[in-house]
Amino acid sequence: MMLARVADSLYWIGRYIERAEHFCRLSDVLLNAAVDRTDSARQAAHIALSAVGDEDVDPQIAIERPAEMVRALVFDRQNTSSVVTSLARARENARQVRDQITTESWERLNLLYLRITGPQAEHLFDQSPAAFLHDIIADLHLFKGASDATMSHGEGWRFLLTGVYLERAQLIARLLDVCFGDAAGGYLLNDHFAQLSVLRMACALEPYLRVYTAELQPRLLMQFLLFDEEFPRSIRFCTARVHEHLTRASRYADMFEGSGGPERLAGRLSARLEFAAFDEVAQMGASAYLATIVQECARIHEAVYDAFVAYPLERRLPA
Amino acid sequence: MTAPAKRIAPSSAAADAPMYDEMFQTDGSVRPAYAALNAHISKLSQAELGDRQTTLERSFLLQGITFTVYGADSATERIIPTDLFPRIIDAKTWSHIERGLSQRLQAMNMFLADIYGPQNVIKDGIVPRELILGAPSYRREMMDLYVPHAAYANVCGTDLVRNETGEVMVLEDNLRVPSGVSYMLANRDASKRTFPDAFGAARVRPIENYPDLLLATLKSMASEWRATPQVIVLTPGVYNSAYYEHAYLARLMGVPLVEGRDLVVHDNMVYMRTTLGLRRVDVIYRRVDDDFIDPLTFRRDSALGVAGLFNAYRSGSVVIVNAPGTGVADDKAVYAYVPDFIKYYLGEDAILPNVETYLCREPAALQHTLANLEKLVVKAVGASGGYGMLIGPHATAAQRADFADRLKADPANYIAQPTLKLSTAPCLIDGRIEPRHVDLRPFILSGAKTIVTPGALTRVALTRGSLVVNSSQGGGSKDRWVLSDTPGDETPGAEQPA
Repeated sequence: MMLARVADSLYWIGRYIERAEHFCRLSDVLLNAAVDRTDSARQAAHIALSAVGDEDVDPQIAIERPAEMVRALVFDRQNTSSVVTSLARARENARQVRDQITTESWERLNLLYLRITGPQAEHLFDQSPAAFLHDIIADLHLFKGASDATMSHGEGWRFLLTGVYLERAQLIARLLDVCFGDAAGGYLLNDHFAQLSVLRMACALEPYLRVYTAELQPRLLMQFLLFDEEFPRSIRFCTARVHEHLTRASRYADMFEGSGGPERLAGRLSARLEFAAFDEVAQMGASAYLATIVQECARIHEAVYDAFVAYPLERRLPA
Repeated sequence: MTAPAKRIAPSSAAADAPMYDEMFQTDGSVRPAYAALNAHISKLSQAELGDRQTTLERSFLLQGITFTVYGADSATERIIPTDLFPRIIDAKTWSHIERGLSQRLQAMNMFLADIYGPQNVIKDGIVPRELILGAPSYRREMMDLYVPHAAYANVCGTDLVRNETGEVMVLEDNLRVPSGVSYMLANRDASKRTFPDAFGAARVRPIENYPDLLLATLKSMASEWRATPQVIVLTPGVYNSAYYEHAYLARLMGVPLVEGRDLVVHDNMVYMRTTLGLRRVDVIYRRVDDDFIDPLTFRRDSALGVAGLFNAYRSGSVVIVNAPGTGVADDKAVYAYVPDFIKYYLGEDAILPNVETYLCREPAALQHTLANLEKLVVKAVGASGGYGMLIGPHATAAQRADFADRLKADPANYIAQPTLKLSTAPCLIDGRIEPRHVDLRPFILSGAKTIVTPGALTRVALTRGSLVVNSSQGGGSKDRWVLSDTPGDETPGAEQPA
């Protein structure tokens, strides 16, 4: 049992830190791709730009002035999905629930915020953008690790992780849609460098290689990111965690009349991915298949609000 | 290597008028209470001291012990300036202060119970009727209302100063929503790290159990019929300058930190919205001013409060701490009567004296004030935070003339006090050790019993010569060590009353 507003804030901290981490990784791959001025590099840049929602930008510009592009992705406060915006919002939420997260977790997040908004930040970025991004990602891992190691694994921690995994499922779905969806124009991502880049964007390169070896194939890549049981960034893994955390968070509540309820929706999505066959994706078309996943995630998000945060008071008054 | 920073000059040597120095006696020798610290500091170079100050500031920033300054287009967070040297008080002086504060709070709670009840203190002519009933902080709504243990002010922060003879005096009472206790605790944490050896050698009394004591005080206010009372801290929210403290206390007490929007009142019961539905609340430690707690009873435009909260409080289903209406007892004009009502209720003389105060509502006092403006400090009765005041000796002739006009226009709104020569304590200023004026704010808890915390927020006027210690006006803070059994230094005013 915790304050509804607090659960809401913890959930959003999870979403924002995951978004910040993903954008750092996309930025890093973009910088890396720009070093090679080849067609495959241009493809990788296009994928990264599309995945952050800047598909209108000419990849050629990104290749020629990568630091400038990435600087905007990281530091632009006007951009609602830039890294600095996400971190500022995560920290603002953490400040509002400062009594609910441990000092160890708070200090990690606060330090990260102070570093990216500090007077030295852009100077450090200019010296070595890749090192700068690497440090932010490492600090975000420290925050997650500190939360895991110091917070009670109770309701609040579960709302935090529900946010992390729901956001991650949606971000990976978006990335896959950019690579394999209709917008990709039937383009098959058969370029080795582009495939490597996509795996890097999903932080999946090494785990993928251990399963499928260095024979990169688009089909295997998609299968891995959608359905792998053990890889923590596959959509299947994410939805299984969302289901697990929501079930545990609501185990005291017999409040979900009727069919609604976030845990039922999360369970259904998780089961669907657990027992899916890859052929279904081919039959439905990648875009349509991924769209249903994104929709289901959005419905889970709404159901979490209805059940835990913005419920109608008259249904919860004491008898 | 830089020179050891041991030439800490006694302030009285440099100043034109004699002042009490917390660390040095008039002959320049170190007071016994400071012996351990002095021995330790003398071994450190200026560079080492500077490093420790930097470490301390970084640790505050990292912990988020900040207040927010709103600028034109952005908000920046700053730490409250913090000085690394603790101010030290010996056991004998402290036990004097302790008894004085307990006595004062006891009398003030009796006074509040009286003016919101039979009003004998008014009928017996001790305090003028219009002064109480006309005060903006007087809450008619509180009349004849049951308050557990008759403890209206459960958390009190009293500002004390030392005059030039070293006597400890009460400058101001804070019975509404006194803040600063988190800085007291954070400063303690920092000074233990900064001077671990000196801390151990000096035998400092611990204050770390303050959250436990506060929680026990809050629980003692709950109805005895509630087996496990739900205590909450009510904050105006993250944009309030004292938000860090609200979160800190909630976290260390292990109770929810709640905003007005998290609460609902139904059938005169207060509930908080949780993930599992509504949960009843028993005790509200509110850090929201009276005016804002309930838009139905007090200010209608308040978005910080809870509609119906005051009625729930009247019905006895919930306790608000501090009780609404306690502000009337810390009114600057009522202050002048505190020694009188200590005598009236307890039959004792005040252990801690007031600063001499002229109530300008009285014609003779007004005449005296107008004739001596260049020597006096004049304060508006309703203002706080160091605003709305004139420090005569530091003001220009034009400012004094302006204030004289305001005084004549509305004399009842002002009081005057002699300009105090506040005591000084050594501080690290730009790498050098210099004396600065200090005051102190101990915290007193009152529920089923009264407890004086053996520590205090010590505020410092960091600007040279300044007497204003408020953080909004260039003030900072430092730790305060209360020693357990140092042989007493000869402090005038510390004698036990007969």
